[in-house]
Amino acid sequence: MHLLPLILYAAATAAYVVHFAWRDPRVGRLATATLGAGVLAHTFLIGMQTVQVGHAPLVGTTAAISAFVWLLGLSYLYVELTTDERAMGLFVAILLVVLYLIPALDPSVSPRPPVLRSPLFTVHVVSMLFAYASFALGAVLGITYVLLFKEIKAKQLGFFYARLPSLQTLDVMNARVVTIGWICLTLGITIGGIWAAQVHQVPDPRVQAMSVLDPKILVALVSWAVYSFAVFARRVGWSGRRAAWLSTVGFAIVLLNFVPVGYFLTKSHNF
Amino acid sequence: MRLLAVGLSHRTAPVELRELVDFARGGLDVALAALAARGVTREAVVLSTCNRAEIYAVSESDAAAGTIGGFFSEYHQIQDGRVAEYLYRLSGSDAARHLFTVAAGLDSLVVGEPQILGQVKAAFSVASDLRYTGALTNRLFHSAFAVGKRVRADTGLGEGAVSVSYAAIALARKIFGDLKGLRVLILGAGEMAKLTGVHLQAQQVREIAIASRTHASAHGLASRLSGRAVAWTDLDAALTAADIVVTATGAAEPVLTRQRVDAIMRPRRGRPLFIIDIAVPRDVESAVGDLDQVFLYNIDDLQTIVKENLARRTTELARAEAIVDEEVAKFSTWMQSREIIPTVVALRERFEAIRQAELRRLEPKLAGLPPEARARVDEITHLIVEKLLLTPTEQLKTVNDDTMAVTYSDALNRLFGLAEEPAAMGVKRQSGAERRVK
Repeated sequence: MHLLPLILYAAATAAYVVHFAWRDPRVGRLATATLGAGVLAHTFLIGMQTVQVGHAPLVGTTAAISAFVWLLGLSYLYVELTTDERAMGLFVAILLVVLYLIPALDPSVSPRPPVLRSPLFTVHVVSMLFAYASFALGAVLGITYVLLFKEIKAKQLGFFYARLPSLQTLDVMNARVVTIGWICLTLGITIGGIWAAQVHQVPDPRVQAMSVLDPKILVALVSWAVYSFAVFARRVGWSGRRAAWLSTVGFAIVLLNFVPVGYFLTKSHNF
Repeated sequence: MRLLAVGLSHRTAPVELRELVDFARGGLDVALAALAARGVTREAVVLSTCNRAEIYAVSESDAAAGTIGGFFSEYHQIQDGRVAEYLYRLSGSDAARHLFTVAAGLDSLVVGEPQILGQVKAAFSVASDLRYTGALTNRLFHSAFAVGKRVRADTGLGEGAVSVSYAAIALARKIFGDLKGLRVLILGAGEMAKLTGVHLQAQQVREIAIASRTHASAHGLASRLSGRAVAWTDLDAALTAADIVVTATGAAEPVLTRQRVDAIMRPRRGRPLFIIDIAVPRDVESAVGDLDQVFLYNIDDLQTIVKENLARRTTELARAEAIVDEEVAKFSTWMQSREIIPTVVALRERFEAIRQAELRRLEPKLAGLPPEARARVDEITHLIVEKLLLTPTEQLKTVNDDTMAVTYSDALNRLFGLAEEPAAMGVKRQSGAERRVK
């Protein structure tokens, strides 16, 4: 059952590749439908896990990655259906498949320690994941912006020129998702701080490790600084190519924090 | 019933002749009425553009192609010999193939141009509104619209601008998306500046400003484009405000230097600037293109894009032709079924009628027979008729070539006198064809 979303995400990736290369609208619709089926299967899986353990499966990095993939798939589908723009699907689908490999290899759901039994914890995790999903879309928009920008600037109108929407569209969409992501990130970090302050007397070593110097928290604050700059520097001319680079760099930091730091370095977030 | 296409196009006839046979000038309705008055066509559509003049018609007469050909010269009062040698006369599925090729833009001067499909639609709707079309032309033209639509949707044939102005506008769209909110600044007031201005105006940009060293000519062009004239001394302010700058001055030295553009980019806060330099010699230093958020294209760059687009269109030809082939096959099958099926039905009805008539004629002689024997007679005669018709029916159904279909139909009609009762037969033929369509 836990492999079904992986198979469907992989199939959707293949369809998006074919659609991107040959621009057949029927294949494009097939890609969207397959991705939709993947997200649906993933929804069922998360639902079953919730029933199985009695709470939302958000404990531990693996579960968080699974939830992140699900949220990203859902957000992307929303963007695609509202803008009718399918060119970004390829990049998003690849990210979904790569990240979903982790929960697909380790489908077990960790039990929830009593200390995490707070609504603040759930709000913290959900807003962080939503922020990360928005930043992932922002990075995809940023990368495609740079690719298209280079083609137009170099007067080599080719592959991306024929497939991507206008620079202006990419930039506006980028601004939107980065702002949404920044709001969620700010909320997530604040709630996380409040929750950590509430439980700081719990004698769990992980709770005791909650400090600004813990790698996971530190890198999260760095990413917050980068995205705060991205949001406010837009007003003074950091739009277009610079904003595109910023959102790409920002998401690289987020991804670094999410996977390697989450698995190997943090002492506070390894539930 | 035969489908015909008679006409000439840029491929067969010189422009002087094409101008002479322009049906649109005097009104397509007049031309259609004049053609109908010849009395050889049952259905007709006249297609007339600057690159072609064609008549699509349905006729029962074998001489119709000649009559329509003659109509070209008679209607336009040209010596007959002059037109005849340039005309193509196509029939059946060749005529359908020609129309589909035309509708797909494959026969156009600029391969893949989109206007022709609209012109074909307009030609059909004129004929259709005046009731010159019928079942065959309706089906033919609707199939042609479908071909045009499929080629547009499924191939890259219509993609990529194939003129310098459209290449520039396509680029601007790829940078800015919608052009409606944009400010355009044109440097120079000559012919090139005016042409580009007209194209941009058609895109409904927010504002067109014109700057020229001679203020009077800037004013002149500004009033023609309903734009705003900018004094040459206020150029930097206008540059700062603009999103698209078109340079077309006759200056010998570059008007926009790197230093100047760099200075005006600062207060723009990263807003992209698209500079189109169509002047020769160039008005913009090539180093300007190195500045961040500046996209600089000169006339040569645009011409290169146009050439590449034209080359790419030709590679999409094969895909478009495959679509045409597919639709021609569909249409031909339908057309043949129209030809053959009613003939088969009529043939069988004729045989059955003969059998019934003979049975009635022999009624006095058969009256003495017991009922079982009479039933036998009925059965045996029925079987004989069926046996006689079995092979011809099978053979007719396998005919898959429309000229053969017409030949067979004509032969059978003549040999068995199938068309002798036109009123009754007409009704039956029509119902037969309709059954098949459904």
